[in-house]
Amino acid sequence: MTSEKPRVLVCDDEQQILRALRVILRDAGYEAVPASNANEALDRAAIHRPDAAIIDLVLPDLDGVELCRRLREWSEMPVIVLSAVGDEDAKVRALAAGADDYVTKPFGPRELIARLRAALRRTDPGPEEVVISTDGLEVDLARRTVRREGEQVHLTPTEFDLLRLLARNRGRLMTHRDLLAAVWGAGYADDTQVLRAHIANLRRKIEPRDGPRYIRTDPGVGYRFAG
Amino acid sequence: MSVASTALATGAIYGLEHLAPVVSLSVVYLPAVLLVSAYWGVALGLATSLLSAAEFNFFHLPPVGRFTISDSRNWVALAAFIFVAIVVGTIAELARGHALEAERRRGEADLAAALARELLGSGDTRAALPAAAHRVAEALAIPSAAIELGQAPGGERQRALALRDADRTQIATLLVPRRLKADTTERVRTRVVPALEAIVAIALRRDAIQAEAVETAALRRSDDVKTALLRAVSHDLRTPLTAIVAAGHALGTGSLTAEERSDLSDAVVIEGERLAVLVDKLLDLSKLQAGGAEPRRDWVSLEDVLLAARETLSDRVGEIRLAVDPDVPDVRADAAQLERALANLLENAHRYSGKLPVSAHVRRTGPGIVVRVVDQGPGIEPAERQRIFEPFYRGARAAGDHWTGSGLGLAIAKGFVEANGGAISVESLPGQGTTFIVSLPISEQAAAGAPHGRRAADDARMSREQPRMPV
Repeated sequence: MTSEKPRVLVCDDEQQILRALRVILRDAGYEAVPASNANEALDRAAIHRPDAAIIDLVLPDLDGVELCRRLREWSEMPVIVLSAVGDEDAKVRALAAGADDYVTKPFGPRELIARLRAALRRTDPGPEEVVISTDGLEVDLARRTVRREGEQVHLTPTEFDLLRLLARNRGRLMTHRDLLAAVWGAGYADDTQVLRAHIANLRRKIEPRDGPRYIRTDPGVGYRFAG
Repeated sequence: MSVASTALATGAIYGLEHLAPVVSLSVVYLPAVLLVSAYWGVALGLATSLLSAAEFNFFHLPPVGRFTISDSRNWVALAAFIFVAIVVGTIAELARGHALEAERRRGEADLAAALARELLGSGDTRAALPAAAHRVAEALAIPSAAIELGQAPGGERQRALALRDADRTQIATLLVPRRLKADTTERVRTRVVPALEAIVAIALRRDAIQAEAVETAALRRSDDVKTALLRAVSHDLRTPLTAIVAAGHALGTGSLTAEERSDLSDAVVIEGERLAVLVDKLLDLSKLQAGGAEPRRDWVSLEDVLLAARETLSDRVGEIRLAVDPDVPDVRADAAQLERALANLLENAHRYSGKLPVSAHVRRTGPGIVVRVVDQGPGIEPAERQRIFEPFYRGARAAGDHWTGSGLGLAIAKGFVEANGGAISVESLPGQGTTFIVSLPISEQAAAGAPHGRRAADDARMSREQPRMPV
């Protein structure tokens, strides 16, 4: 990572939100590149080459989904969209258009920063961990073994591939399509029933009885590994 | 007729005697018998036959000038005449009967077509009934007829005939005069009633289906409105909330400049106020929609209400000019609701008028009082005028810039004005501003004395001062 702070493009038409986000991002070690509409965002992205973008789905000039698509045409930077409840449809369209994740308004800044960090890991993964461990669960990628509270859990090869993919992208939203394409192949990208069944089996083996702790569901969108 | 025709035949035979033997000339009488029986029936045909035989015998058969009973030729002719008269007369009568029947049937078909046109062609069956009844009277050549929905009693002079649907339920009643010819009554029963009841049944079912369709469309539209409402509420509540939460967190971070700190705390206050205004408006609107906005009516001075309305906005808006004509009486209304309505109109006018002043003028017109709220904004396109009173609808021109209206003001104004028995409308010329017109009824007590009746005015003043005393 360079010594310069990572730049984050922030696009929202509400000045007050923009102002607060600038301070919050600075506090977390990022530099905000503010834009109050989609065209300004495209201009500033071209000039400042930000490392990530946070964009509101409701913008005065262009749909946030469309802004996502235009950024994706020339940039691989992680994009997080801000959506409101009731905008489920727009959220799904934004993810299909290339957004990495979403945060629902009103968001807690800690959640936003966590999502931003996870999304940035995609483009800058850092040193590969051989053993991913979190809160009582240990996934050994080299030995292909899983331990929960020290006890070995037996997974089928597909279940292990699924867990490995989720764990290596810790904190990041993995859409149904992402998971299906990576584990089963591109031809299965729409077969969410298969995915649901394997996630259910995986959860039965690794999750505590009182509810999922490691694999979290984003309803209608995908799953993410806690942490 | 028999005499004339036979006389003609007798005369003709004189002219033909030299061409053929007299005996064979009896055929000359046949056309007479034939024509008479064809046109006037068997009875008259038989009479003509007898007369023909008698005349032939007397005038032509030798011995001429005398009746000769014994001559067999005479009997042969008579038998032939009678045969012709019966056959032709019967056939002709049958044909006439068929023709008459066909004519009746045609009339009935025409009547059915006319009834279908009247009853099915109109959107409202009830409204089309008099025209349909008129057609029935016309077709039957009777002085009057009436059709009423449901069961209607007959009377001394009117006969009530039930019209039933396929389930034999009475759906309507046909009323015709009691004094009708027997065959007309019969025609009504056997011909008119079945056709009429079939058409009325279809028309009523069509009405019911249409009403259902309208209702379904209204329901669907109200569902759409609810969805749009939910979405807008969600967005409009979350935006200031997000700004407040984010600003609060930002204020908690270290290394803030003094300017940032003041900006962030301003943001919390501004967005908090915005949220409060929105919540007030949502409460107003939900009260209105739940029908809980029952006005508490009292005597209200429009001048006071307008001043109060301007007062609630004074922090947020610029110049508002108010004018109330001296002859405007007080109205019976809920002062608080009227104030909310007018405050929303003034705020809306100011939003679109920009820096230019807004004016409100109260005048008395014939049946009521009119408040005109005039702005000098961009105006409203005709296509938008229908929609501006819908909750969360925002004018196209306002959507672009940084504008913080809730899209609820006009819906609330309309709701409160209507709850108080008034009406609201809009006039606008694109590019020249918009005028909202609130018309309120003048209550009867005030109208009786106003504008110059002193007693009524005094009464009004007293009755409106009483509730103010304890305050």
